[in-house]
Amino acid sequence: MKEVIALAKKDFKLLMRDKTGFFFVLFFPLIFALFFGLIFSGSGGGSSGAIPIVLVDLDSTEASQDFAGLIEDTKGLKVERTDLVQARSLVQRGKRSAYLVLPEGFGETSSNLFWGEPTHLEIGVDPARKAETAMLEGMLTGLFMENMMKGLTDPQGMSDRIKGWRSQIESAPDSTQEELGFMDKFFVELDTFMHELETAETDTAVLSDSAAASEASGWQPLSFEKTDISIKRDGPKNPFEITFPQSIVWGLIGCAASFGISLVVERTRGTLIRLRVAPLQKWQILAGKALACFITTIIVAAMLFLFAVIVFGVRPDSLAMLAMAVISAGICFAGIMMLLAVLGKTEASAGGIGWAVLLIMAMTGGGMIPVFFMPSWMQTLGSLSPVKWAILALEGAVWRGFTFDLMLLHCGILVLIGLVCFTIGAKVFNWTAE
Amino acid sequence: MLKLSNVHKSFNGTVAVDDCTITIQSGEVFGLLGPNGAGKTTTVNLAIGLLKPDQGSVYIGEDGSPAQPNIRKKIGVAPQALSLYEELTGTENLIFFGKLQGLSGKHLHERVEWALDFVSLKTRGKDLVKEYSGGMKRRLNLAIAIVHDPPLLLLDEPTVGVDPQSRNAIFDNILALRAEGRSILFTTHYMEEAQRLCDRVGIMDQGKMLALDSVDNLIKAHGGKDLVIAETATEELKIETDDPIAELERLKKNTDLHRFRVERPNLESVFLNLTGRQLRD
Repeated sequence: MKEVIALAKKDFKLLMRDKTGFFFVLFFPLIFALFFGLIFSGSGGGSSGAIPIVLVDLDSTEASQDFAGLIEDTKGLKVERTDLVQARSLVQRGKRSAYLVLPEGFGETSSNLFWGEPTHLEIGVDPARKAETAMLEGMLTGLFMENMMKGLTDPQGMSDRIKGWRSQIESAPDSTQEELGFMDKFFVELDTFMHELETAETDTAVLSDSAAASEASGWQPLSFEKTDISIKRDGPKNPFEITFPQSIVWGLIGCAASFGISLVVERTRGTLIRLRVAPLQKWQILAGKALACFITTIIVAAMLFLFAVIVFGVRPDSLAMLAMAVISAGICFAGIMMLLAVLGKTEASAGGIGWAVLLIMAMTGGGMIPVFFMPSWMQTLGSLSPVKWAILALEGAVWRGFTFDLMLLHCGILVLIGLVCFTIGAKVFNWTAE
Repeated sequence: MLKLSNVHKSFNGTVAVDDCTITIQSGEVFGLLGPNGAGKTTTVNLAIGLLKPDQGSVYIGEDGSPAQPNIRKKIGVAPQALSLYEELTGTENLIFFGKLQGLSGKHLHERVEWALDFVSLKTRGKDLVKEYSGGMKRRLNLAIAIVHDPPLLLLDEPTVGVDPQSRNAIFDNILALRAEGRSILFTTHYMEEAQRLCDRVGIMDQGKMLALDSVDNLIKAHGGKDLVIAETATEELKIETDDPIAELERLKKNTDLHRFRVERPNLESVFLNLTGRQLRD
């Protein structure tokens, strides 16, 4: 096994130093995914990166309307208003990242400054979207504080608040005359101060300090009630969920072509003689090559998916099934690599014939245009292409919502194709040096 | 160390090696001399187990056929085609092939250092092979053959396409390896190389082993007589003789001898006498 690993490491090192091969294995698939993803999304690269949310205002007071307006004007959010049922549905189908509910009583609780229960907001979100949820909570807290500061620095609004508080204290049944007298004097002085502020310029720094101090004392202006909305898929959430599985298969195609040609190169450049003279069995030499191809496919698939997750928010339905699909597709294309190595005697012929075969597989299997855009007869024809099965398996793990049995069927077909191709290739492979 | 007995190999009806028998002793340098297409490389490929003989047998020492992987550990091969990974460094090539031979850890790195030093490539070990000159590649090709310290070396045309300086360095390497007691099968179509390096030489042509013996014995048996070429005032004389000194004495007495030279028979003349053709025809 050590020898097989040494062979695989050598091939991996050679691939890393072959700029053309490396381009076709990693960068071409990435360019493919980005190009078609942007075309299908119709954004032409104009995606703002804003979190798409749905806003539901159940309070419909002046305060809730003001706050909703602030949310809508926020750059980092793309806001759509609707009712609660529609909002849940949009989040559930993965069309929006979250919904936000301003509940009844929002206007009343939001006027409580530094005392009482915090204002509650309901956020409905897919539990998997932890990063977006944290960002959303941070944004909303910031907006709420901003709104509160606006109220404090507005003398007329503050004066109205003082009137409200005075009437609440006066109507309190257990207040003593002494307390009422003290509070009355305090509010008169406060009201006078606010009038002076109205005529002079407001010093917001004082108020900010006051707000910061009350925050430090533990009072929370806002609390969030989170509702878990698991996404039910009935299609891809964004075009990149289609283009990235395709790009991964292009990566696998690149691996199969590169390693298939490299096996021919071993023969034409004479290194195969050395491998054969080494104390190795033939199967070990081929296993080393296949292992290198397989490991490269896994690395390429992992890197492309990571890119899709981080940059385009692609969220696989099941990571376990995605791993199954990637491993099976890797085995399949490692086997195809072996078959490609017997198609030509020279590097040029193996490369030419190999790419031609792979392109036909890609065209019929949905590697260029998604299968569902194809006429039915071509979809049937595509069933002969391993590219179709690989894309279906990957999509099944990302957005098609495959059951385990269905995934097992697709993975089984891929592994079978890989084993058959490898066996044929290994039997037919010409071990004689040119 | 190596024994090929009545080995026969043909490809699609064309005979490449016909009833060839070679035995190489420990510490012996054996040369296979013949023109291109004589069957030398096929013989090497039979000896290392890359080809299976149609008839006859190949044995490495007392152990068995080189078709068995564990027997091949005793063989080091420098193929005629440079069998190197050009995108790897010299050291990486040696480490890789050393690992395939079962070397590992400190021992592997010691052997790699030794092999690089042996072929005078220590200072270039970290350079990519594609940056090497032809002579350096040939030397690395040899280093890979010896990195695992095999007792038997098969060097197929190890000096093809190299400059005189590298050629001399490779000759020195081969002689040093012989001094260490290794057995070497060496193929060449350069008569001077075989004459300089080999304890015994087999002369091959069209798949057949025409003659096999020490260089001196081959020349005695098949080289013909010494040739005395003498110039007098009126003519140039070419005289074949077993005793050139006596012949020159006679010419000195009987003619007006201006100039002379003596041509000793060599492996070229052996090949000419055996085949009727020049070695480089």
